[in-house]
Amino acid sequence: MKAEPAERLDPRAKTLWRITGALGALPLLAVGGFISWSLLRVAPLPLGVLPSLAALVLFVVLAGVIPDLRWRRWRYEIRDEEVDLQRGIFWVSRTLVPLARIQHVDTQSGPLQRRFGLATVVFYTAAGANQIPELSAPVAAEVRDRISELTREQDEL
Amino acid sequence: MSSEARHLHPAAMLIDAARTIRRWVSAFVIPGVALLASRGFDTRTLALILLGAIVAAALAAIWGFLSWRATTYEVSGGAFRLRRGVLQKNERTIPLEHVQSVDTVQGIIQRFFGVVEVRVETAGGGASEPDASLPALARADAEALRREIEGSGRAPVEEETAGPTVLRRLSTRDLFIAGATSGQIGVAFSLLAVFSQVFDDLGNVFSEELVRRVFEQIAPNSAVVVLLLVLAVGLLAWLLAIAGTILAHAGFTLSREGDFLYIKRGLLERREATIPIARIQAVRIVEGVLRQPFGLASLRVESAGYGEASGVSTTLFPLLPREDAVKLLLDAAPEFTVDPTLEPLPARALRRYVFRAIVPVLFVAAAVALASPLAIEFAAWGFLAVFLLVLPAALFGWLRYRDAGWAYGGELLVVRSRLLARTTTIAPRRRLQSRDVIRSPFQRRARLATIRAQVASGGGGAELRVTDLGADAAEALTGELGPGARRLRR
Repeated sequence: MKAEPAERLDPRAKTLWRITGALGALPLLAVGGFISWSLLRVAPLPLGVLPSLAALVLFVVLAGVIPDLRWRRWRYEIRDEEVDLQRGIFWVSRTLVPLARIQHVDTQSGPLQRRFGLATVVFYTAAGANQIPELSAPVAAEVRDRISELTREQDEL
Repeated sequence: MSSEARHLHPAAMLIDAARTIRRWVSAFVIPGVALLASRGFDTRTLALILLGAIVAAALAAIWGFLSWRATTYEVSGGAFRLRRGVLQKNERTIPLEHVQSVDTVQGIIQRFFGVVEVRVETAGGGASEPDASLPALARADAEALRREIEGSGRAPVEEETAGPTVLRRLSTRDLFIAGATSGQIGVAFSLLAVFSQVFDDLGNVFSEELVRRVFEQIAPNSAVVVLLLVLAVGLLAWLLAIAGTILAHAGFTLSREGDFLYIKRGLLERREATIPIARIQAVRIVEGVLRQPFGLASLRVESAGYGEASGVSTTLFPLLPREDAVKLLLDAAPEFTVDPTLEPLPARALRRYVFRAIVPVLFVAAAVALASPLAIEFAAWGFLAVFLLVLPAALFGWLRYRDAGWAYGGELLVVRSRLLARTTTIAPRRRLQSRDVIRSPFQRRARLATIRAQVASGGGGAELRVTDLGADAAEALTGELGPGARRLRR
């Protein structure tokens, strides 16, 4: 197969993912803290602290480590005939979607994404959706238009 | 082709009335019973209930007649139109090119009147374009309607030809074999589990004393009781699985006319389904655990609907000898006819398959080791059990490794894998919606990779997957399956 896809996501994605990761891990912290609090009344000190410590480690991983790894792996490229995606931290997957199979393309952006000026490109085939997340809004629009244009050019085969 | 508005078969009145009554009964059964319970069984109450029932039946019958009179259907102006509604009129128009299939179902009531229910299924439109259902049509009318709708896309030349040619019919003997080997024992087991709740309540009817005495009589040893019970439940589950298969697949007939496949099946409820051959995305040959030793298999198709990802995964034929599968495909879906020798996986993949199979067992072992520092004897038993599990697990891993394989040629991708059943999936290159190469760090170290190709099917697609083929082969194959490779070859 060809070399890695050329394009990367917008660097601001890392910040966004850190925030969403932290928000997602907050309940975890709360649960860990609660278990510690209830354990500390009956158990000796080191055992009681363990749950909150574990929760803290998970929090750091989710909010600090994973966004970076994820961003470093994520690459995409829109070739003449196919969209090429690479992603995944542990299981690295490389996805090839022929442009001729793409039925339509969207850009989407949530409230948090808009704050960072980011958007996600989603393209649909008959077997489901694929996405390129966290591109800066103008790039996303460009990618969307490019895909839709190339899709139209493909002859039916 | 167009036609004037037509009414349903008069049996529709009765079917409609029966449905109304069924609704009322379910609404009134609780208050009715309460009434009976409070006032007891005197003649006046009974008379009142009887009178109520007669009035209700009469009302339902009148309503049935009115709604029959109000319901008409026609095919005109390139669309199927259905008018309904006694008080609130409702007209539904479905453009013919949006019709995905015209299926007929024959429930028990319909069977009694010799009519069929026709379902005009659409897809793509989703909720804004629901399906239309005609509860009762004479068989000939249903056939005529189907021809009108489906014929719109075809040349109306083959009018009055012999009709669909039967490709294969499931014999009664095969039907029983299919039931006995269906492997739906698991499903039946869970059904039994639900029923056992009910039986528990029933069990309270017999006194515990009686039950105990019966058990003491037949089996003084509790282990024997358990064994007998397990055997009995197993047998019952098996019989249920057979019964389920017979209900669903009795009289299974696959036939073809032009570009359409027709499937008829069912014992009490006759079902007929249409599959446009052009919409078939992939074919699966499934050799169940109980069937493979006898060289038997079942055939399934993944087909896509109109427009978006709606479609179905359907049984094309429930049981046939493995070697007949390809022959049947030649008649039913010639595009998918292939039976290549498969590329095996590299020898270094075996270790990963065995590893994957025994990891869950090792987890169990760890749990046992952690849980049993207290009782040495228990730990010993636990380890013995784990040891007894590890060997079958390893064997299972080896089986999965041996049965995995792939081939690509003549624009057809063939992939074989085993979960429990050994499944061979065939899909043409132009049906593949996307391809993935997936690698974990372990796989990278062993120069292996997993490939996955997706085809459209009901509910978001079906996949063809080969785990742990050589990394180079995986990359070459994904390249070959792409659109670029074809251009180069030209």
